[in-house]
Amino acid sequence: MDVITVTDLAKTYRTPFRRRRVDALKGVSFTVARGEVFGFLGPNGAGKTTTIRCLMGLCAISGGKAEILGAPVPSRAARQRMGFLPEQPYFYDYLTVSELLDLGGRLAGMGAADRRARADKLIVRVGLDHARGLALKKFSKGMLQRAGLALALINDPELVVLDEPMSGLDPIGRKEVRDLILEERDAGKTVFFSSHILSDVESLCDRVAICVGGKIKDIGRPRDLVDATTTETEVRLALADDADAAAVAALTARGTRARRTAGELLLTVGGGVDVDAVLAAAHAAGGKVIAVTPRHETLEDLFLRRVADQGAREVLR
Amino acid sequence: MTASLARIWAIALNTFREAARIKVLYAIVVVVVAVNLLAIALGEMSVSQHSRVARDFGIAGISLFGSLTAIFVGIVLLYGEIQKRTIYSIISKPLARWEFVVGKYLGMVLVLTALVAAFALAMTAVLAYQGVAVSGAVAKALVLAWFEVLTVAAIAVFFSSFSSPFLSGTFALALWAIGRVTPDLRAAIASSESTWIKWVAKGALVIVPDLHVFSISGGDVDGQHVSVNAGFVDWGYVAAAAAHGALWIAALLVLACAIFRKRDFV
Repeated sequence: MDVITVTDLAKTYRTPFRRRRVDALKGVSFTVARGEVFGFLGPNGAGKTTTIRCLMGLCAISGGKAEILGAPVPSRAARQRMGFLPEQPYFYDYLTVSELLDLGGRLAGMGAADRRARADKLIVRVGLDHARGLALKKFSKGMLQRAGLALALINDPELVVLDEPMSGLDPIGRKEVRDLILEERDAGKTVFFSSHILSDVESLCDRVAICVGGKIKDIGRPRDLVDATTTETEVRLALADDADAAAVAALTARGTRARRTAGELLLTVGGGVDVDAVLAAAHAAGGKVIAVTPRHETLEDLFLRRVADQGAREVLR
Repeated sequence: MTASLARIWAIALNTFREAARIKVLYAIVVVVVAVNLLAIALGEMSVSQHSRVARDFGIAGISLFGSLTAIFVGIVLLYGEIQKRTIYSIISKPLARWEFVVGKYLGMVLVLTALVAAFALAMTAVLAYQGVAVSGAVAKALVLAWFEVLTVAAIAVFFSSFSSPFLSGTFALALWAIGRVTPDLRAAIASSESTWIKWVAKGALVIVPDLHVFSISGGDVDGQHVSVNAGFVDWGYVAAAAAHGALWIAALLVLACAIFRKRDFV
């Protein structure tokens, strides 16, 4: 069963005074299966946050429909079994993290004992045990993000929706969020998150969707979306500075790029080039192979290509 | 139903906690205490009218400062949540938007009730200092002033559901001022020769809550002069005025909920 089903979702805004029509979403469709970690990618203004806000019932849907865990969006039933972390979360800054989680638990309809036990567990899990008695206004950005994650998880949701959960976090904070996402996945939960950090998305997600200009451009497993053909190969050689100049010149002529540093040569050759022949030429020039690294298209390459395509279309329009 | 009440109560308690941190509210309490102390000083200057001055000042202070506080707190009640983006984490919980609006209003009721109680305590202390017991008339006037404050709070919350604090404050103050002079509007309808003035006054009487019913000391009720210092209204009048206020509060909250339900939080 799909946990999220979005069909032809459209969202149109009107600007405040001139009432100009802005189509933020132009028929977004995708599904998220139970137990998946699903990444939602897109440049700024692509419609990621609007999609998430529509799913959370923060924005009215202008067209199409969406369901969460079989319940229509927006509905209380849909929100009952999910947790949400907004982008750059803001909370009542006079509350402590325990009080914030207690409020979240009350709104989720949890009993007092359940709320207390779950909050205690989550505070430890997100690493805020040392800051229990501290008002949220004294929290750093990373701490607020962790408090927000705990709030999203207070009702032990089946689905967790995270809007830019790594935004503004340092590498340690990012790792903690990544670990938390994986823990949720391992516990059988479904995680839907948007992010700009493509390396995180690539390493965490079972499937991704790329949203550009209010439309889904690609959807699928990261390895299926990118072109697996080797685009180029990087050959790193140890090469004496006094190596035969003619042999080195013949070698570098085989590559598309070459960079010579003290005792080393980094040669990049095209995807169609016979790497064995390059390595033979390297030996002939007196070089020793340190590394041979084939390069494929990455999610980042695909993402940038989609954004560039959209930019070109907008220029033509 | 019980679950819904629990969610409303959670929002109300949080709103109370939030409002209790507004330092201006404590300043207002200090001002009201000062007004009551001023009543002692003015009472000393009058001849055998000590308690009259204390009662009039005390009740007028509750009505004025209570209403101003209701406007001050109410105009940011919903707008502030959207501006500060705290609403994203709350509305995404299994909470209906009307529960949020009602919870916020109830939290405000708790705050304003605590304030009115503090004001009433200050007045009682002044009366006790003057050796005067709190009469039934004063108790009735206090209940009326409390309902006026709660009605004004509902006006402010209604405007806060769709406009900025500045506009909400302007509209709420205007309605409060018009609502206090309904006898003058009725007089204008009866005596003015201008059709335009008659229509404006009639329109105002329909769309503006009649707040004069809560502050009738020194005015006329059914042709009889009433005063908190002499013959005052009976409890039947207080109940009717409270029902009038409750109906306006309900109507304003229903409108606020309907508007808030349609809002996009972007």
